[in-house]
Amino acid sequence: MALLEVSDLRTYFKTREGEVHAVDGVSFNVEEGKVLGIVGESGCGKSVTSLSIMGLVQNPGRVVSGSVLFDGRELTTLTDRELEDVRGRSIAMIFQDPMTSLNPVLTIGTQITETLRRHMNLSSADAKKRAIELLEEVHIPDAARRLSDYPHRFSGGMRQRVMIAMAISCNPRLLIADEPTTALDVTVQAGVLDLLDELRIQHNMTMMMITHNMGVVAEVADDILVMYAGQVVEQAPAMDLFGRPEHPYTEALLASLPHLEGENVRNGRLVSIPGRPPDLLAPPEACRFAPRCKYAGLDDCNVVAPELREVRTGHWVRSAHPTSERTAVPVGAGAP
Amino acid sequence: MAATDQREAAFEAASSRRRDFEETLTRTAEARGTEAGAALGRASLWKDAYYRFIANKASVVASFAFVVLLAYVIFVPIFSRYDPYEVDFAQAYSPPSTEHFFGTDQFGRDLFLRTALGGRVSFAIGFAATFAIMFIGITYGAVSGFVGGRLDNGLMRFLDALYGLPYLPFAIITLAIFGTVNFWTMVVALTIASWFTTARVMRGQIITLKENDYVRAAYAVGAPRRRVLFRHLLVNTLGVIIVFVFLELPGVILGEAFLSFIGLGISPPKASWGTLAQEGYVEYQAHPYIIVIPSLMIAWLILSAFFIADGLRDALDPRMKET
Repeated sequence: MALLEVSDLRTYFKTREGEVHAVDGVSFNVEEGKVLGIVGESGCGKSVTSLSIMGLVQNPGRVVSGSVLFDGRELTTLTDRELEDVRGRSIAMIFQDPMTSLNPVLTIGTQITETLRRHMNLSSADAKKRAIELLEEVHIPDAARRLSDYPHRFSGGMRQRVMIAMAISCNPRLLIADEPTTALDVTVQAGVLDLLDELRIQHNMTMMMITHNMGVVAEVADDILVMYAGQVVEQAPAMDLFGRPEHPYTEALLASLPHLEGENVRNGRLVSIPGRPPDLLAPPEACRFAPRCKYAGLDDCNVVAPELREVRTGHWVRSAHPTSERTAVPVGAGAP
Repeated sequence: MAATDQREAAFEAASSRRRDFEETLTRTAEARGTEAGAALGRASLWKDAYYRFIANKASVVASFAFVVLLAYVIFVPIFSRYDPYEVDFAQAYSPPSTEHFFGTDQFGRDLFLRTALGGRVSFAIGFAATFAIMFIGITYGAVSGFVGGRLDNGLMRFLDALYGLPYLPFAIITLAIFGTVNFWTMVVALTIASWFTTARVMRGQIITLKENDYVRAAYAVGAPRRRVLFRHLLVNTLGVIIVFVFLELPGVILGEAFLSFIGLGISPPKASWGTLAQEGYVEYQAHPYIIVIPSLMIAWLILSAFFIADGLRDALDPRMKET
């Protein structure tokens, strides 16, 4: 049994204009000890998926249906009180922006020990000792003294390390990292990713890495989930996904990565996907990628919604025209 | 030959400059290291705020004036050799002198002492009412903003309805309903129609604060809602609360003085600054000092409190804190 089983998760936001289907029928499993990477462009529902798992979706959002099984326990029906025991204890989360994720008026020590005392029933002296260990574990020098510092004395990278220390403080089984490096400098990013990998192995954690950076997932993920407009469009082992992408969207995403080597790279233009992501208030009824897809229009792409299906072992795709089954030339494309 | 010499000299000069430069570099790096290390352990938000407050001259003077006034009110009745209630007509209406710094009133009572006692009453009612205003306003506003939704809507519409109530007439009516005037009824009367602004400001603060990422982060580590409100949000509003204390205090004291002045507040022989001013008002042509002194006291208190509030607001302003 997988550690986390999400099935048919739907999270909608009620707005003045109507219901936004931010997450619309997402299903996936995360096996114990693995790293799942979730990629997709902004607004495709990556973050809302993770918040839904944690039960942190705020008004006007609501998990409408679906189930989240964590270690065999259904999370969507738990009371707030029960969820509080799960959050931070069994499932921990790291957020995107470390600059705003720490309370500016509480010391680092207060914020770390708060979690420890809440979940581990430690005395304040023990919690402090443990907090120092944790800060050392995330490679913050002079940990004992920095404990009484306020967040504004920490740089972005350091703050993210503190956030990581808080997240791993109770040895969670699942760590959800929601774009942990997006807000950081490139040089700091590598350090934080290395640290996450190191801690994951030491603490034997399963991890969900949410990002829109293909390079990051390629580095750390065992499996990759590609999301588009609130749906999973492709799921595959990392090597397979990068080697043989099946969904036209994944293909286009990978094609739009800038290349630093090769002929004419300096003169060429960056490739982009035409059009814009669909309005989630009224998403396309059939295939959501159809309006931007090179291969749509050959048959009933705009009429029949494709199902997620397994094109080869472990490689799932939601498209009528996965690469391996394609025979026709793209519509309107001159040369492939 | 000369050219070679010149070149060598230039080379020498250049390399010695370079050595100097490198030495300076290492020196400053070391110095920087120790300086940074020393600074790290100590600084805090409150320290920074303190330095900003100190930099504001008007606020420092005002704080000093406030403390002097407080000391006068506290210590003079302890050390005074006069009896505040003893009637001695031989001494009536003696103007300020070295014997009686503020002169005496119609019954020959020492006004230096009575003004201090009146200040005690004014301060006590002022602090108690301010505390009550803060307590009610903060609780009401924080709950309203934090819970949000329908409850927030209901509480705020109710507040809107109350907001139309004029402050002093409402205080007068409250006193009339109680029928008696003592310390506690005064506090209630002054609180009852003056906590609205605090509640509104508090709600606004909480609403903006609760959207912060660290609130979500706190939930994500399993903090209960109660804890998020008290531990994470209220602490963040501490600056605003402190500023509001010093903004409300003079208003409340002025309200108390007004009520006493028109005869609805503290009644003789007990004194407050309002009753003292009222006694002076009757005699203001013959003995102007009797009304001038308590009025000056009220002005002194209000001005110093406002300047303190002003300095505190600058010192604790969260927008400046970011840099």
